[in-house]
Amino acid sequence: MEREDDSKYEMEFISTSGVYKTPFSLIIIIQLFVGGVVLFFVNLWFINSLYYLLTGSQFYSFGIKAEWYYWLLLPLNIYGNIFLFVFTILIFSAGIFRFLNKLSHPREGVFERGSKDWKYMHRRFWTAFFPIWLARALPLPWLDIIAFRFFGTRVGRSVVLYEGYIDPEFVEIGDFTMTSLNICIFSHLIYQDKVIIKKVKVGKACVVGPHTIISPGTVMEDFAVLGVNSYTDINQNLEGNLIHVGTPVSITLPIQSIEESQKKAVKVKDEAKISKEKQNGSNLNLKEG
Amino acid sequence: MFQPASLKGESPVPIDERIRNKYLILYILIIILSFIPSSLFEYWYVTYFWSETFIWLFFLILPLNVLVVIYLIQFSAVLGSVLILKVVNLIHAPKEGVFKRSLEDRDYIFWNIRNIIKKWPLYLMASNPFPWFKNRFTLRFFGVKIGKKTICDNSWISSEFVSIGKNVIIGMNSSVLSFGIEQDNFILKKVKVESDVLIGAKCVLLPGTLIKRNAKLSAHSYTNHNAVLEENSIYMGHPAKLKKKE
Repeated sequence: MEREDDSKYEMEFISTSGVYKTPFSLIIIIQLFVGGVVLFFVNLWFINSLYYLLTGSQFYSFGIKAEWYYWLLLPLNIYGNIFLFVFTILIFSAGIFRFLNKLSHPREGVFERGSKDWKYMHRRFWTAFFPIWLARALPLPWLDIIAFRFFGTRVGRSVVLYEGYIDPEFVEIGDFTMTSLNICIFSHLIYQDKVIIKKVKVGKACVVGPHTIISPGTVMEDFAVLGVNSYTDINQNLEGNLIHVGTPVSITLPIQSIEESQKKAVKVKDEAKISKEKQNGSNLNLKEG
Repeated sequence: MFQPASLKGESPVPIDERIRNKYLILYILIIILSFIPSSLFEYWYVTYFWSETFIWLFFLILPLNVLVVIYLIQFSAVLGSVLILKVVNLIHAPKEGVFKRSLEDRDYIFWNIRNIIKKWPLYLMASNPFPWFKNRFTLRFFGVKIGKKTICDNSWISSEFVSIGKNVIIGMNSSVLSFGIEQDNFILKKVKVESDVLIGAKCVLLPGTLIKRNAKLSAHSYTNHNAVLEENSIYMGHPAKLKKKE
């Protein structure tokens, strides 16, 4: 991998992703308003039709076209409402997101507080905040992956991506990757007076262990495994087909096949048995096997 | 920021199982009290707007009605619990120290009662879909001072014996704990974070920690009990050790 000018990303410590509250966060009210109005008016039309079928008079007078099969749709109403509400908000805010991207193209780098990129980063984040919150709060497990795709995160097929903090842009996740509980995938790090933005790339069929942090600029190659409780430095490259552990990642271990590890386990057990038979002291040292 | 629903950053208020049922009535009382203003508001909204002339307006501002009701419930829950908390604090004032984790210890029992009272408003605050009036606003009523321009909404911050300065960044998934349990002992000690401090993601501050001005704590580290992090320096590790002093 070739990278230009890595030195400007060098920091002595890892901070966190996040945003300050700017006045642009009021966009959430507009998103809620648009989603809510569509939801309520569609429901009003639906209820009005049912009321007309039942009584012959209108619930509230505006044009209706009542059909008998509307009654069959009544149980689906709640489920349909969830879809309607979420997808109007998703499409509306994805539109705003694209518009903001056209105004100021998002780019990687180190930006000072108050600069144009810093402002637009905040605007993009506040636009994506409410739809993603909604998608994750609703009881449809695949909805948040769809929401991330709407906001420019490239997520592959069959990805497990439910329980973690994931930034909505500059993240690329390959097919069949599995992420664990309580993970952080950061493509942004804020320090008091600046923000670092760098793309994160997670390859195909990777496993990201629980309680890990993936910092900006990390490249996980295909079939790499990030071990439990470890974090990566900025611009770290994790080689494929290996297990990576450490805070920050410094140790690599080979991935063993099941047969190999079973053989090892049998070997350890046998040695334990032999040492028991020998009765050489009471403490078994399994590690030496 | 983009946290899953299960990690919403609720302020930690654990309650001892042995006395949980005993004070359930307090918890239910606060829940009922918190719904009164919002139901009054709904009554006013429906009677005012449900007429021939305003009917379109009724449906048009229904989404904003939802927003108002969510915040009304949250604010009234906070006010109700603060009122009850004031009364409870008059009976037994909260204080720092090392106590026994038994039901004979009065301090331990009152710590649990305070947690029961705080649980509902803090739960509501964390489940709120909107990013305004969260930790910084709510915790102020329970005696936690958090300065301006502080990022602290995605972290678990204890609701008493904590003070946080201004322009502080507390990372996602970090926890600031002013209480701790060690075998039979129960510890309550103040955590103080001064201005311009940066705490990374997934950090844990144990009770008694003092972080001085402009200190940095790297991600994925924790501080020891009673640790002092000096000014203008960088700390990292498990537990946090000095890495660089400027």
